[in-house]
Amino acid sequence: MSSTDPLYLVFLVTGFTVGFGHCVGMCGPIVVSLSLNLKGRNVLIPHLLYNAGRIITYAILGGLAGILGSFTILTSSILSLQKGVLIFAGVLVLLMGLAMGGWISFGRIFGDGDSSSSLFSKSFHRLSAARSPMVYLPLGLLLGLLPCGPVYTALIASARAGMGAQTALQGFLSGMGLMLAFGIGTIPALLVVGKLAGLGWIRSRRMIYKISSVLMVVIGIYFIIQGIQY
Amino acid sequence: MLEGFWISARKILITVIACLLMVMNQGALRGAIAADPTSENLINCSIQQGPCTKDLRGMTVTLDIQPKPVTAMKDLKFQVTLSGEKKTAAPYIDLSMRGMNMGPNRVELRPVKDNVYEGQGIIARCPSGRRTWIATVTLPEVGKVEFIFDVIY
Repeated sequence: MSSTDPLYLVFLVTGFTVGFGHCVGMCGPIVVSLSLNLKGRNVLIPHLLYNAGRIITYAILGGLAGILGSFTILTSSILSLQKGVLIFAGVLVLLMGLAMGGWISFGRIFGDGDSSSSLFSKSFHRLSAARSPMVYLPLGLLLGLLPCGPVYTALIASARAGMGAQTALQGFLSGMGLMLAFGIGTIPALLVVGKLAGLGWIRSRRMIYKISSVLMVVIGIYFIIQGIQY
Repeated sequence: MLEGFWISARKILITVIACLLMVMNQGALRGAIAADPTSENLINCSIQQGPCTKDLRGMTVTLDIQPKPVTAMKDLKFQVTLSGEKKTAAPYIDLSMRGMNMGPNRVELRPVKDNVYEGQGIIARCPSGRRTWIATVTLPEVGKVEFIFDVIY
């Protein structure tokens, strides 16, 4: 038993409470976009995979914070990456909104499956046309890097746990454990949002899709602006 | 063809209106936060200018954070100085943001000399742009006092 054991529970509960507040605001638009992209298909598996990816990233970041014993070294190293991910998330939500509203076709944005198209366009094609839910795992891995206040707080605790560790491995495991606990705590809120946005419970979806597409465009632009300013 | 042009123009117009609404919404949100009596206008500590002092049950509690300017996502040194007759165990500081659960972030303090306590901590950055933080200094068996201040991003 280590001195960080009670902290695991604290951060599990923190993740749960933060999930229904902060995460719904930050990750909510992305989760809603993913659900709408599924267009009535089963949302549970894709969202579980998305959350699994997000939590794996949290765990790796926690482990690194634990090994380094420093929050600032870790975050200063990934700042540019986080900025890029925030802009990427904005572009993703924006394009999904534009495409879902029928404002522009995927083909017009990227070209219709042109083999010379960029990695981004290929990835977006794959996501938008995906039949396998597995594509949501790498998406979660990437979007787990989104800048987020409560994630930072959990990483600060992970770094502190690492500072008190006897070995690098112990520091890694302590930090990883804390971030795992925090991440698992956030899952219920995002699953609820994803399920509600799946729209399986609404009879007339046409108008909802139209309204949602406008909101996604707005939120996407907001994310891009936040990313540029970050 | 002309009909198609007008349909596209209408869609673009709706996008522009949506963007304008978003910008207006941002302005309104910032205005609401500024008007919120539980937020920025409750700032009671100019930590960027120097230490802040509050009274607590016959004691004075002084908080200072170094280095200046006090910046989020940096290693900071928190110093609490007490004065008064009462003796207390080492205080600690909880960092939080009003109206937004940022998770538990406690700075443990250790005595460095008589009635002076220091500890290392970090103030996280909120991507929403909000920068008003609360440092709640707890003196065990005495009470708590809040220092509300802005940090630099």
